[in-house]
Amino acid sequence: MSLQNSIEISHLSKTFKGNLDPSVNDVSLTIKENEIFGLLGPNGAGKTTIISILCGIVKSDQGKVLLNGVDLANGNESIKKFIGVVPQDIALYPSLTAKENLAFYGAMYGIDKKTVNERATIWLEKLGLTKAANKKVESFSGGMKRRVNLIASLLHEPKILFLDEPTVGVDVQSRNVIIDLLKEINQNGTTIIYTSHHLEEAQDLCTQIAIIDYGRILAQGSPQELIDNVEKATNLEDVFLHLTKRKLRD
Amino acid sequence: MLQKLLAIIRKEFLILLRDKIGLLILFAMPITLILVMTLIQDSAFKTINEKGIPIVFVNNDHDTLGNTILNGLKSSDFCQVSTSKEGKDFTITSAQKAVANGEFLIGIVIPKGASNKIRNNVSELVTETMSLNEASSVKKEVVDITLIIDPVAKNSFVSTITSNLHEFIAAVKTQMMFQSFSDQIAEILPEGSKKPTKAYEKTDIIHYKEIYGSALIGKDVPTSTQHNVPAWTIFGMFFIVILVVGNIIKEKKEGSAFRLKTLPTSYLTMMNGKIIVYVIVCMIQFFIMIAVGVFVLPLLGLPALNLGHHLEAILVLAFFTALAATGFGVLIGTLANSEQQGAILGSLLVLLLSAIGGILVPTYVMPEIMRKISMMSPLNWSLSGFYQIILRGADLSGITFNCTLLVLFFIITVFLSSTINKIRSKS
Repeated sequence: MSLQNSIEISHLSKTFKGNLDPSVNDVSLTIKENEIFGLLGPNGAGKTTIISILCGIVKSDQGKVLLNGVDLANGNESIKKFIGVVPQDIALYPSLTAKENLAFYGAMYGIDKKTVNERATIWLEKLGLTKAANKKVESFSGGMKRRVNLIASLLHEPKILFLDEPTVGVDVQSRNVIIDLLKEINQNGTTIIYTSHHLEEAQDLCTQIAIIDYGRILAQGSPQELIDNVEKATNLEDVFLHLTKRKLRD
Repeated sequence: MLQKLLAIIRKEFLILLRDKIGLLILFAMPITLILVMTLIQDSAFKTINEKGIPIVFVNNDHDTLGNTILNGLKSSDFCQVSTSKEGKDFTITSAQKAVANGEFLIGIVIPKGASNKIRNNVSELVTETMSLNEASSVKKEVVDITLIIDPVAKNSFVSTITSNLHEFIAAVKTQMMFQSFSDQIAEILPEGSKKPTKAYEKTDIIHYKEIYGSALIGKDVPTSTQHNVPAWTIFGMFFIVILVVGNIIKEKKEGSAFRLKTLPTSYLTMMNGKIIVYVIVCMIQFFIMIAVGVFVLPLLGLPALNLGHHLEAILVLAFFTALAATGFGVLIGTLANSEQQGAILGSLLVLLLSAIGGILVPTYVMPEIMRKISMMSPLNWSLSGFYQIILRGADLSGITFNCTLLVLFFIITVFLSSTINKIRSKS
């Protein structure tokens, strides 16, 4: 059975006010249903801008985006019901407990109290946070905050999940738990779009990868295809450095 | 929709209740201001209102003029007259010293023999008139009444005193003239005829009747309590801007604002949740402040707050003030980019609007131009509404204009916040 397109992006461009260079420059992509799609690139390459446009937070200057067949330009509000977003920053209320945060975000998705509570309990247990459920988030370690940050985007069981560097600044244990969870929810039918600087992690997790720089897509394919296309490359890091060069970025 | 709204309200309340310092600022600060400012300003308000202008009176005349002026001033309610200190009558020197020390705003010295001099002058004038002689070439004696004025005394106080002195002197002169005419007429009448009656008192036929434009509760000028309790309550309600700004900026800074934009919940629903919570907080603040005015201030020897007869009008005005204050906070929170920026901008604007709005200094002591400017402050719309109710006995219809302005202010601030947010999202 052929998979449907989950996300279709055509000729997407965005230049922020006051900038001369575009942050996203004529990007076209197709992401199939149930894929784990990695957007990789150096700092300032345009990864977060693309995710922000796809989530409906930033408006593009040009181009068209279809999410599960719905045009983002016309159906921004209906799209928000089936997408989940895990921001790069911890988007939680520090003075609220983990459960209170989850109850609030669950309600914002229109889920009833009982269901939110049930789902929160399951996810908190899976991510090893049951004991900390009634503690204020401000008392959590970085890894614990990242895990709650992730759960807050899963409560409504999104069809498409955007993750902007979900494992940045966490220990190996937390990272492994997060990666395993992402694999599990992907197996349950969620399409994942993910940005990261951990190339090894991306190579292990993603089914498709696009390497972007200066707002443009430099290469796209499965991790193995990308490695095979670059001479002498043995891993994704070799491909990445070959395409983006070694020049330092701001 | 309702479920989302309730969730936002719950979240906002939890955040607010756990912000102990914020709560302290919100409730302790205006209570302290009410207590301190009412105590400080009480004597100043009493000077003008209850006790009147403090006057030292030196009566070296001890005759009709001195006694008439003294009794007249004593019976009036615009001044408080002292003639002695520690059992000793004031002299011109001690009176001058007392005014210089700030004990009195004005001193009045009636010179010795003043009544006699006026009496002689009047008698001479009457004799000239009755004998139809030419005007006398003898120089008239002059009576010098001395006024000792504290430089800080307002011109209006001095004018009030001098016009009253003129009135008393004119009355004494008229009385003396009447007396002199009666005596002279009696002398020229043939023996055995009926003497003219001295019916000067019967000429006092003009009286003043005071009718107020509305049912007056106190005086038109408020007491220290009547000014300070509503004024600092309004100030405290508007100071909620600091908490609202902090809340909005924290959401932006901590990343929650980013996630909120990805949720299927509109900006207006989010803002409505916040507005409902902060309006409730403002109303709680209002009830506490009013309770301080009614129950705590009398314990400190200050006048209790008299709320008048229209509590429903007070509640409606307080609600619209809370709306305006919260709307203002939402606008500043939307405009500011950092907590520091929001706190400085918010507190400075509230202070500025308080100053021009008559919170710090009542508008009726401001110059004309400032009184006009004060009408631009939402704090003034609210304060003048409270004056209407607690001083002039106004009901709901009497504060319609004030409430309309406050609602319009709220609508404009929320509309601007929403528009600014949309523009920023698009860019």
